[in-house]
Amino acid sequence: MAKTLDYEILVEKFSRGDETAFDRIVEGYSADIAVLANRLLGWPGDVEDIVQDVFLAAFVGLKKFRCECSLKSWLFTITINKCRSYRYKQILYLRFFSRASVKASAVLNPNADNVLMKDETFDKVRLAVQALPLKYREPVVLRYLQELSIEETARILSISKNALQVRLSRARERLRRDLTELIG
Amino acid sequence: MIEDKIKNLLYEADQTAGGPVPLSANLAAAVRRRANRRNIVNLVVRVAAAAVVLFAFGLWSFTAKKTRDRQRILALEMQIEQLKTQTCATLNLIREVLDEDRKQRRLNELQAQLASYSDPLREIQKQVDKTAFILVYQANRMYRELDQKESAIDAYNRVIELFPQNRWAEVARQRISEIQNNQLNNSKGDLI
Repeated sequence: MAKTLDYEILVEKFSRGDETAFDRIVEGYSADIAVLANRLLGWPGDVEDIVQDVFLAAFVGLKKFRCECSLKSWLFTITINKCRSYRYKQILYLRFFSRASVKASAVLNPNADNVLMKDETFDKVRLAVQALPLKYREPVVLRYLQELSIEETARILSISKNALQVRLSRARERLRRDLTELIG
Repeated sequence: MIEDKIKNLLYEADQTAGGPVPLSANLAAAVRRRANRRNIVNLVVRVAAAAVVLFAFGLWSFTAKKTRDRQRILALEMQIEQLKTQTCATLNLIREVLDEDRKQRRLNELQAQLASYSDPLREIQKQVDKTAFILVYQANRMYRELDQKESAIDAYNRVIELFPQNRWAEVARQRISEIQNNQLNNSKGDLI
């Protein structure tokens, strides 16, 4: 609660023109946003551009932020939107310049596969997560990896709790089907 | 149960993948720089768009003005042509009227000149009358002053012969008749 109030004060200060408040916001949330972006984009590792994009959008829109939800939720919503745009641009790029199929979206970041995934089992898990459609992957990442509550996840994704439950259920079903030998 | 398994698998997969590359220390400053750059770019784009719009408007208004001027020039040229035609027609009319007037004046002059000339027939008639009168006058003088009756009768006869229709021919006939009557009376007196 104290932290929430603290960030409300920071937002208020920033609205009044105090740019050091923005520095503190970046300092406080950049790590969380980097982790979320890294997970949403399939663990590429280098997500600084996306994080910069998120904070740039926040910098522009922070004066209009009315504290109706937490600053963290608001920043996570921006992160999700930026990750969607990023993936969409990459898909377009692949489609137009490398003649790769749309299915390549599942292997957008080969570095992550080669460098970071040493364990074949977890490699399969990560690939299965990346292979999920966006509308299932986002709830899975937010709920199971970021460990957000159902309410917060639903609010960030701008969907109802029921819709979120349905998506999570379907995502689990797909993962269970793809990872049968691991889950049983 | 399955949910927990999946959750654990995901957690472990995430852990083994490693976290994101550490972010640069001056992230906020970089964001501010990008924001400033974006503001500048936005400003430039707006200014450029405004300039393009202004240029297009200027070009359009210039073209429109040019077109308007050309139309006005064409209209004026047409008016000038019409005025020229009207002027030519008016000049022709004036020329015709002047010609007509000149002809009329010339005709009047000629008529006046013609009117100033006397009638040759009348002149001849006057001369005939005058000649006949002179002959009758000379015959009268021969008869009354010189008492030359024969010569006088010859003179009267010449008048009758030369100008039979003239009034002096009638006078000559009367005189001849008077002379003959006088001769007859004188011869009767002598006989008596």
